[in-house]
Amino acid sequence: MCALSSGVLSHLSLLEVKARSRKTQLQQQSRVMELKAKVEALKTQREQLKAQIQTHQVWGLMVVEANFCADEEEENMDEESENSNLLQLMARHTQLKDLLHAHHLIGGYDIIKTRKGKGACVSIATAYENVFLDTFNLEIDLKPTVKISRHNIPPFIPLNNLAEQNNMQTDLRVFLDTLSQHLNAFVGRKQQLKLVKEKHKSIEVMESNVLCSLLVLLLTVPREKTAVLCTLDYTDHTRCLPTRVHLESEDKQLPDSPQWKKNCTLLMETPVHKALITMKKMGSIV
Amino acid sequence: MEKMSDDNTEEVMVLESEIERLQAEVESLQHQKQEINKDITFHYSQQMENALVFMCGQRQEAGKEMVMSRLKEELEELEEDVKLQTEINGITLNSCTTKTLQNSGRKLVQQLSLSGNCSELVFQVEFQLSEIKQDSERSKRTIGDLNVVLDSSDLQNFSSFLSRVEESRDLLLFFRTLRTFSDRCDDRSRTFQQFQDKYPSVVTLPGGPRSEVMTVNHPKLPGCMLFIHWSVDVSREGIVMPKINLLTKIPERALQLFPSQAVGGAAEAFESLLRILGPEAALESIIQAVSLSQET
Repeated sequence: MCALSSGVLSHLSLLEVKARSRKTQLQQQSRVMELKAKVEALKTQREQLKAQIQTHQVWGLMVVEANFCADEEEENMDEESENSNLLQLMARHTQLKDLLHAHHLIGGYDIIKTRKGKGACVSIATAYENVFLDTFNLEIDLKPTVKISRHNIPPFIPLNNLAEQNNMQTDLRVFLDTLSQHLNAFVGRKQQLKLVKEKHKSIEVMESNVLCSLLVLLLTVPREKTAVLCTLDYTDHTRCLPTRVHLESEDKQLPDSPQWKKNCTLLMETPVHKALITMKKMGSIV
Repeated sequence: MEKMSDDNTEEVMVLESEIERLQAEVESLQHQKQEINKDITFHYSQQMENALVFMCGQRQEAGKEMVMSRLKEELEELEEDVKLQTEINGITLNSCTTKTLQNSGRKLVQQLSLSGNCSELVFQVEFQLSEIKQDSERSKRTIGDLNVVLDSSDLQNFSSFLSRVEESRDLLLFFRTLRTFSDRCDDRSRTFQQFQDKYPSVVTLPGGPRSEVMTVNHPKLPGCMLFIHWSVDVSREGIVMPKINLLTKIPERALQLFPSQAVGGAAEAFESLLRILGPEAALESIIQAVSLSQET
């Protein structure tokens, strides 16, 4: 029995060693295969990237060329490369998309025709100085008559009056231009009020309205601490600057003093938040 | 057995170092691709992706013909769209180049250069555009560094507005004002041209139809001339104001012979006429008076 078992044992241990080394071998072989596969994948990726870079470079050159030849109806007669036609189409695609994006950025109305030309959607972008602000939208019926069906224009903007006065029926663009003027002026006045509240915490806003066409500020003169009530009337709703500045003070002489006459002119010609900065610097107010 | 595993280990090491090399190559190519993308913005659509895939030599079911014809269809749609936007915006854009200066996760900064025209006014505009993502929906868009070049002769009235708008970087105000200014200039040249066509013996446009001046005089009274000066002024804040003035050139002798208010006070009289009838009717009545015609 012992002899047999030792033989079996040694045979078993021999098998075990064989099995283990087989396993290691298989592991190493499968690792080798794994690595070889990875090498192939990376090579493919590299070739793909090289081809893409080449295409993008040629594409880039064609876009530049297309931009230079914008005014000419030049057809590129070079038929040598069988892919040059496709590249030209791709370059034109990029150029057109860039133009559409540019139209949008410069404050274009982004018109979209709907219901097979029976309707349209437009967006009116607003900005004050270099900051883009709210966008307003209109849905318009074009047939049988031009009519506004839906919009998100605030109620204090006289939409219907503007439509009538500007002949929306015959010239949609002129109507939109006027509406845009009103909206941008409103947004500009609103932004100025916001900046006054943010940057001039020492100045109290006594009165303002939703259209931001009236602003009453309580200013204080340094030293004597005299109060000056400053009323800014923006009666022209297409403008961001006031049409009238009125000053009232306990000191009756103050509004007629040369310094305050200058301040009045400043407030008529400069956006209010900036005028107040100047007035503080000049020592007129705190 | 030992030898075989040694060989394997060697092979593994060789492969691993090759992989490292390839990975570095791929990384540098990816970086190169990103750099190129900074100069040209790629707008992807399904057709563009198909075309790009085709160009990179990868197999796909649709042949070249199909890819090209589908892309052509998409191009036609885009051309229609550009026409539509051009018409409603009153601005023709001829070229637009974009350069990406910065593109981190939240912030995008681009330099744009546009050229085009608004009716007869040709412009070139360059500006920097920054977009900062504020939350998932909204982003804050601002303009930095605006530069405007206008190619035109009617420009003295526009220059103080231009310098103000470059200072405030109000891109939208520039284009709104440009359009309104262009409309008023077009009104003027159309009116001047109409009058020259209708009354050729009496009306002259010494500077051409785009100029500010129209002269009216009867051929039988060569010394007496009426100058219509129609200027289109633009205030610093972008308000467009057309102004029409009448100037007379009447020889002393004629004034002595006919000392009537009608001749001497023509300028003020014209202002009232303008207020009552509006520019076209007022001008027409002046012309008719000078031409001594009964036409209406």
